[in-house]
Amino acid sequence: MSQIIIQGLLLSGLYALIAVGFTMIFSVGRVLNLAYGVYIMLGGYVYFQCVQVWHLPKPLGFLIAVGAGVAFAVATYQLLVRRLEGNPVAVEISTLILAVVMQALIVMIYGAASRTMWPLVNGVLRTDGITVPYNILIATIASWFILGGLMWFVHKTHLGRAIMAVSMDRKGAMVSGIDPRRISLITWMISGGLGAIAGVFFATYTQLDPSMWVGPLIIAVAVVVIGGIGSIVGSLIVAHLIGFMETITTSLLAAELRGVFTMLLIIIVLIVAPKGLFGREEL
Amino acid sequence: MKITKLIASAFAVSAVMLASAFMHTAKAADEIVVGFIGSFASDTGKSTLRGAEIAIEELNAKGGVLGGKKIKLVTADTREDVTEGIKAYEYLAETAKADFIISGSIDDVSLGWLPRMVEYKIPTLDTWTSYIGIIDKVVKEYDKYKMYFMNVASDEALATLYIDFGKDVLSKQMGWKSVVILQEDTAFGGAINGLVKDVLAPEAGIEVLDTIVYDVNTVDFAPIFSKAESLKPDFIYTISSVKGQVVASQYVKLQVPLAMTGVNVGTMGHEYWDDTGGAGGGVSSLSPLPSVGFALDDTSKAFVETYKAKYGSSRPVFPHFNGFNAYHGLKQAMAAAEKAGGFKPLDAWVKAMENEDVIIKKDGKMWLRYGFWKPGEIEPRTKREYTHNIKFDITPPFDDGAPSMVVIQWYEDGSSAVVYPPKYATGKFTVPSWVKK
Amino acid sequence: MWSDPNMRKYMIGWALFGVALLLLPQFATTGTLRIFIFANFIAIFAMSWDILSGRTGYISFGHPFLIGIAAYTSAMLTYHLETPLYLSIPLGIIATMVGGTLFFLPALRIRGTYFALVTLAFMELMYQLTQVLRPDITGGTRGLSGLPTLLTGALPNYYLSSAVMFVIAICLWLLVRSRLGTALSAISMDEDAVKSSGLDTTKLKLFAFMVSAFVAGVGGTLYVHYLGSIAPRAIFDINFLFTILIAALLGGASTIIGPIMGAFFLTFLLEYLRPIIPGTERYFIYGSIALIVYVLEPKGLHHIIQRIYGALTKRSEA
Repeated sequence: MSQIIIQGLLLSGLYALIAVGFTMIFSVGRVLNLAYGVYIMLGGYVYFQCVQVWHLPKPLGFLIAVGAGVAFAVATYQLLVRRLEGNPVAVEISTLILAVVMQALIVMIYGAASRTMWPLVNGVLRTDGITVPYNILIATIASWFILGGLMWFVHKTHLGRAIMAVSMDRKGAMVSGIDPRRISLITWMISGGLGAIAGVFFATYTQLDPSMWVGPLIIAVAVVVIGGIGSIVGSLIVAHLIGFMETITTSLLAAELRGVFTMLLIIIVLIVAPKGLFGREEL
Repeated sequence: MKITKLIASAFAVSAVMLASAFMHTAKAADEIVVGFIGSFASDTGKSTLRGAEIAIEELNAKGGVLGGKKIKLVTADTREDVTEGIKAYEYLAETAKADFIISGSIDDVSLGWLPRMVEYKIPTLDTWTSYIGIIDKVVKEYDKYKMYFMNVASDEALATLYIDFGKDVLSKQMGWKSVVILQEDTAFGGAINGLVKDVLAPEAGIEVLDTIVYDVNTVDFAPIFSKAESLKPDFIYTISSVKGQVVASQYVKLQVPLAMTGVNVGTMGHEYWDDTGGAGGGVSSLSPLPSVGFALDDTSKAFVETYKAKYGSSRPVFPHFNGFNAYHGLKQAMAAAEKAGGFKPLDAWVKAMENEDVIIKKDGKMWLRYGFWKPGEIEPRTKREYTHNIKFDITPPFDDGAPSMVVIQWYEDGSSAVVYPPKYATGKFTVPSWVKK
Repeated sequence: MWSDPNMRKYMIGWALFGVALLLLPQFATTGTLRIFIFANFIAIFAMSWDILSGRTGYISFGHPFLIGIAAYTSAMLTYHLETPLYLSIPLGIIATMVGGTLFFLPALRIRGTYFALVTLAFMELMYQLTQVLRPDITGGTRGLSGLPTLLTGALPNYYLSSAVMFVIAICLWLLVRSRLGTALSAISMDEDAVKSSGLDTTKLKLFAFMVSAFVAGVGGTLYVHYLGSIAPRAIFDINFLFTILIAALLGGASTIIGPIMGAFFLTFLLEYLRPIIPGTERYFIYGSIALIVYVLEPKGLHHIIQRIYGALTKRSEA
């Protein structure tokens, strides 16, 4: 039992980190950024390139990975999203094409074979028959810090409040002198950075491969859809819901049904409560 | 203006059509076209492609085949995608006019283009998929599928020999009595799982405590390993063909205190160690041969030397088993064509190919054999037919062919060896240092 | 509607297209015909998508779900029960229409992005279920191979697929130009306004869904009995979805002609690249071209050609 709780918490922390960057864009721009998974993939591969190919120090590799995520997010926003403003379907389609193009690019550079990343920290913690690698423990604690910091940023800083204002009422925010485009750009930057961080952690959990953008994207979409538009707290709760559901399914029910339950949950929630479990709250 | 748009679009479409009419690669009368179908980006796909390239270069250097005709290689990428595979086969058949097709496809991709092969009746050799279901099609509907050959031992034969490993090593040598099976949720996984459960367990006296089937995209294996640990088995048996490195590296990262063996396709290439970032020691797996850690005979050594000289540091730096298969298989297909007077008529070529038999010896002993099971021939141990599958031998001392598989072991220092069967062993079966013996 | 003075000119356009399709085999190689067959099927799927999503604005990300139901139903019937094709194909189409109503349920409550996601979840769910539930019947991960085919050879299949595509195109085009079509596209602009004008939007939507499912069913069953094999990765797959969506949108959604153009453009782009760049770079270039064209003109090729033609005729008039 305690083992399910601990493993559930660890996995959920990662899922929350994966989802939150996606949630922010959705709440501010009301568009699904289907290239979000690419930030995750990019974070993982850039870190891999820096640390395991060029043998740079890990913290530097981490920073470069985050920088790559931010840069790519800015490029997505400026080159694609801005042009297609006001047409959410076009944004979704073009970001989906972008993701597929990036997947081909990764295959061109690294081939289709999967790679494993070195853990950020080696070793395992063993208590009571439960084994937790330090790497995963650190990833989880880091995501809690990052998510806490994000909450603080959104609620306590001037810029954060401006983001919240745009997410709640774009026109109202404009009237009060906020430039929604600037805010959108900043949100995309944060999202790209968060995605890349999540990518490094996610890749140390699993592996690097050119289709790794799909899995996290599905998790992020599920969290946003089930949680409801743009609520960070809602996303956190739903990330835990999904994380625990997966852990319980794998350890108590049948491990092969892991994905089936998530899909069923999406379908049921969307049909029963189209606005998500937590409705449209503030960010 | 509205009127014009339709005419304009009709015009555009016709323009595409006209342009396309001129798209065909001319085939010279004095050349033999070999088509390669497989994934360009994967190590396995590239192994087949390169094996074929080297064989073709050698044959052309000797003056070509069939009375001095040069062999031309045309490639078609499948991206390991089923539909792309069908398109690729059509391209090779209709546009490239291939005389012979060599494939490095995975199971569902091969099954996807199989109906096209039947339609075009092009001799085709598969070097990677080991799916017994395809061989069964040849057995049951010989006339329809006779142009198909597979020179890697089918999974049924792999699993049968693996049972001996279970008896000799896992049960007798290690004294293990119970197992938990972790199976990736794929058809391959299901097939192997069935064999292990139904045959390995009763024959080797190993009790299967539980089978955990997990989703291919599982992120976190901690709950799965915990569940396995809680059942207190003597060892874990994994079956993974898609994301083998995840389960292997999480096993190492989590330092699961149980030995782990099984079938893990991820461990079969020389890049495994680098790909797992060194986190892959202590894992063993069955593998088709010639595998990593395999003692090479002179012919295979020469092939590897040529390969290394030609491709240098480009991945994969060492051919996978299917690279060897493609190299020998392509030469055999050409030799069969010489005897049959070409790839047509099909029946003559099929007969000649069935009679192709290359025996490679090492230190005077049978080491590798490239030949095929003939129609109606019954393999004595499994008592079934394997028509057009590579001629393997699953009974020691393996003097009628190479074994269908070997067991390979990755050590914690990054080296690897064959540990079973004893005739081919270059190292010892071990468990990782963190596992209490 | 026949009094429309433009109608005759449109009809000439269609007739020209039909004649071009008919005469093509005189000039093209069989390899090219094979590409056309794929393009025809993608065109059918893209038109099916267009009548549902392009018209009503209910964006479907799960069209492979509908196509897959049709294909799998007919495939399993013929493979296991040796049902003759003249029975299995209609049954497959009926199954798809039942699946279409399943698709329709969420559309009663949600729209836009949310609807897209539910349909995507349907497809993902189906992908997992075909592998997990009764793999002995569905063929599991490997799928089924060696299914009966309707016809063999490039030429007969070319004529069949072209004829089906052409007939579907004309029917849908006529439908779109009817008052029913106008009502459907009004839904995409302002559903509430349509409702308040006294039209039953639920019935209209259901109609669009049924037409779309029917077309997907026809395409799906013929497709699988053209290929002769089926696998979950070939159908319930993001790449397949991607091809259909891009064909419809790149060609020009809501126009019926656009999706055909998109399907032909994309299929030929990919195949023309094959001899020049056989490797992965091909998909990179293919995707990049699609992305650039789409971002520059989200209304699609149809609109681009229209504009070019408009500019040309203006100049000639001046």
